[in-house]
Amino acid sequence: MLKKNTPLKDRLEESERLMKSTGCYDGVTELQLRNQDPLKFETLHTKLRSACVSAREMARRISASPGVREVGEMVVAIYTPEGDAIALSNGIMVHVHTMSRFLKWMIKEGYENDPGINPGDIFANNDAFIGTVQVPDVMDVIPIFHEGELVAWAGAVCHELEAGGITPGGDVCLAQERFTEGLFVCAEKIGSNDKIRRDYVIRCERNLRMPIYWVLDEKAKVASCISMRESVLEVINEVGVDFWKQLIKEFIEEGRRGQLLRTQQLTVPGIYRGHTFYGHVTEGKPGFQPLGEPNWLYNIPVELTITSGGKMIMDFEGTQPWGYHSMNCTPAGMDGGMFVTLTQHMNFEGLVNDGAWMATELKLPKGTWTNPDNEMCATATSWALLLPAYGVFQRLLSRGFLARGFVEEVFVGQVNSPMIEMGGTSQYGTPFGMAHFECAAAGSGALAIKDGLDTAYVGWNPESDMGNIEIWEQSMPMVYIGRSIVPNSGGAGKFRGGCSFVSTWLISKTDHLRLVTSEHSSRVFDNAGMCGGYPAPTCQKHRATRNSDIKARAKKRLPLPHSPGIDPKKSDLEKLLKGKHITEEGPYITAPHKEGDVFTHSYNGGGGFGDVLQRDPVKTAWDVTNGFMTREAALKIYGIVLGVDLETGDFKADFKKTVTLRRNMRAKRLKQSQPVSKWMASEKKRVAALKFVPEVKRMYAAAIKLSPRFEKEFKAFWSLNKNFQIKM
Amino acid sequence: MTHYSKETIADLVAGQLPWPQTKRIMSAYKDEARFFTYLSVLQSRVAWRDKILLPISEHLFIVDNNNGRVTKCECGHSFGDYKKNWKLKANISVRNTEKSLREIYPNSDIPDPNWMEIREFLCPSCGHLHEVEACAPGYPIVHDFEPDLEGFYRDWLKQPLAKK
Repeated sequence: MLKKNTPLKDRLEESERLMKSTGCYDGVTELQLRNQDPLKFETLHTKLRSACVSAREMARRISASPGVREVGEMVVAIYTPEGDAIALSNGIMVHVHTMSRFLKWMIKEGYENDPGINPGDIFANNDAFIGTVQVPDVMDVIPIFHEGELVAWAGAVCHELEAGGITPGGDVCLAQERFTEGLFVCAEKIGSNDKIRRDYVIRCERNLRMPIYWVLDEKAKVASCISMRESVLEVINEVGVDFWKQLIKEFIEEGRRGQLLRTQQLTVPGIYRGHTFYGHVTEGKPGFQPLGEPNWLYNIPVELTITSGGKMIMDFEGTQPWGYHSMNCTPAGMDGGMFVTLTQHMNFEGLVNDGAWMATELKLPKGTWTNPDNEMCATATSWALLLPAYGVFQRLLSRGFLARGFVEEVFVGQVNSPMIEMGGTSQYGTPFGMAHFECAAAGSGALAIKDGLDTAYVGWNPESDMGNIEIWEQSMPMVYIGRSIVPNSGGAGKFRGGCSFVSTWLISKTDHLRLVTSEHSSRVFDNAGMCGGYPAPTCQKHRATRNSDIKARAKKRLPLPHSPGIDPKKSDLEKLLKGKHITEEGPYITAPHKEGDVFTHSYNGGGGFGDVLQRDPVKTAWDVTNGFMTREAALKIYGIVLGVDLETGDFKADFKKTVTLRRNMRAKRLKQSQPVSKWMASEKKRVAALKFVPEVKRMYAAAIKLSPRFEKEFKAFWSLNKNFQIKM
Repeated sequence: MTHYSKETIADLVAGQLPWPQTKRIMSAYKDEARFFTYLSVLQSRVAWRDKILLPISEHLFIVDNNNGRVTKCECGHSFGDYKKNWKLKANISVRNTEKSLREIYPNSDIPDPNWMEIREFLCPSCGHLHEVEACAPGYPIVHDFEPDLEGFYRDWLKQPLAKK
């Protein structure tokens, strides 16, 4: 054990050296305390976890932000002096590990000497290259001292609903460089003696559209950190400081070993591969500077290797470069994605902490969006690419669960849930800005044994929640005229993906409302199905009506639109309202809206599992009766013939006709198919001649430029001449 | 030690176990015997005798037969050597027009077929849809899973496979 008051930087370097030389966290090769008294060991960890959970709940009551209060966009955790997470709360667990990066960054930068780390200090950060995902994820940490020695850290993160960027809200869609993302706090000491500095608060008040959210969240985070500090000191008083120092190391080493064992228990060693895509369309949209190509197609290939030791290595080789948009991600964000995914799929019990993350490895090719080699790039909407990428990881893991027989754990994965941001003049006549966080309740991917969750899952927060309409209406100059399930929004399959919802609003009591959306893939699906299931339709467009006659219609008691409806070629807005109708793909960036306008925004469902022709007709009849699926989809996709129960009015399956129809559909699809070898022979000609639209050509050119392996595999697959080149 | 009967696992795999029971299984410690119970459930489900060594999809298995270890469809169709990508021996149907995409997405916005196509990989014998890829045109077909079969049996299950 190192001497008391060894400088933090030395402690961190020694810890890393020990990990390297022994393969165990901090050189803990034997879990002595655990072996001596396993019950005491577990009880103490449970105590710390409870301290975290309770600190977070208390803090949520201090916050003014509906994102934190309603939707729970917050997480807290306790760390070792070297910055490794020991215990954490529920909530947005993606940040447990990003905060670890922030702590280590300060230690490595010599913060102990300047600006100094003292009892009562408060440090904050939202710089993704130091350690967070995106600018709205603001984290606060405080050191915990015992008799003059730093023995732990407490940290808390809230996702802020307004970050003061070029466009309002937190996920600053229009940011193309760091300098337009909003208010940065770069590993800054923002307070001392448990008090946030007044000049820091003034900076926030003068640089944010809605400072009340950020500033009260700061107070909530500091309160939660103080609460955790008290709990840690109580434990130290109970067990003694030397016991504590050993205990926290063993907690993490136990977490690391647990992860390796769980991988061996639940999966199969080998190589797993998958991919997804994302379409970024900005052509003709106002505000985007011509810094790069207007439209970009992102390929996100993922290769997961599970070694015989149970280690998981995830490789993003072959993906696209970073770009002048807000969707780049830092290694901290990529780490966070891995951490939150592991907590949901493998570490749902036992010692959940940074140990699990240590049993994994990420290969993030330099220069790609996963590891930009330019720290000036923007990361305000990292989730746009991060969520699809980790959706692939979930499917790869699930392939292992399926092979191993743990079918109840198979999960087709997460999807993007596009966010709506807004700002301008509120319904009270005051300036405002906000991210609408009802997006935290998308549809989930299907499971191998049941349909996905409807409007109840997002990858970044396992406690998904869309929040109450009445609360959101208090915070923005729009009133809901609809919040409905989107039929067929779950990817088709034997088990369909969870469905999403769409909101429809009437803009009210304002003459200046800027609406912006982000994390919205265009022209491609950014998810997939599994084992024959189809992707969810995740390239929905926005529908809006300016200067609508909705109030006049309401007065006359005529039908009003409550959603865009189920006709993609003509929405219910177009069918029922007069005014200027708008259909917009990708990020929604337009002139301000005003009272009387109608705006809709839909979220995403998850991918499907299994062959559609095996779907249960009874379940499908229930889906159609309850608006989760259309009768047309039941018939055309699933081959399920439905009749109507004359007594109840509900749909019911006609089994006999269904069997016949499905037999015919199976024969038809086989007849329409061709051997892959034959298809490849004809497709090769297209590839060799590069008969693709410019965006697809650019995607291949960029992937090949960054990755010799991608080039080699691409050429080998299509048997292309070694001189094959893509010239743009 | 958690243990479930073959009947329970069979119902679970078929998606027919009542939800409260399924949820209890999800929340409980995992049963160590699951893999072999699972294999036994699958073996009872198929009409052929080749020994299933590892499922790689819902209705695709790596099996031991006279020709070595091959990937086999539940209907009995063999895709050949398990180390090679079974998709290359499958049938394919590509949806790369608005009309063909509309068949699966009748009421939603659809991808631009110039940017993305849907590839369906079918068993050439029974027509079962084993896998769907959604990707840019020209994207190489993915080899989804290359299990370390021998290592799995030897190191993790402690039951080494006979040499082939």
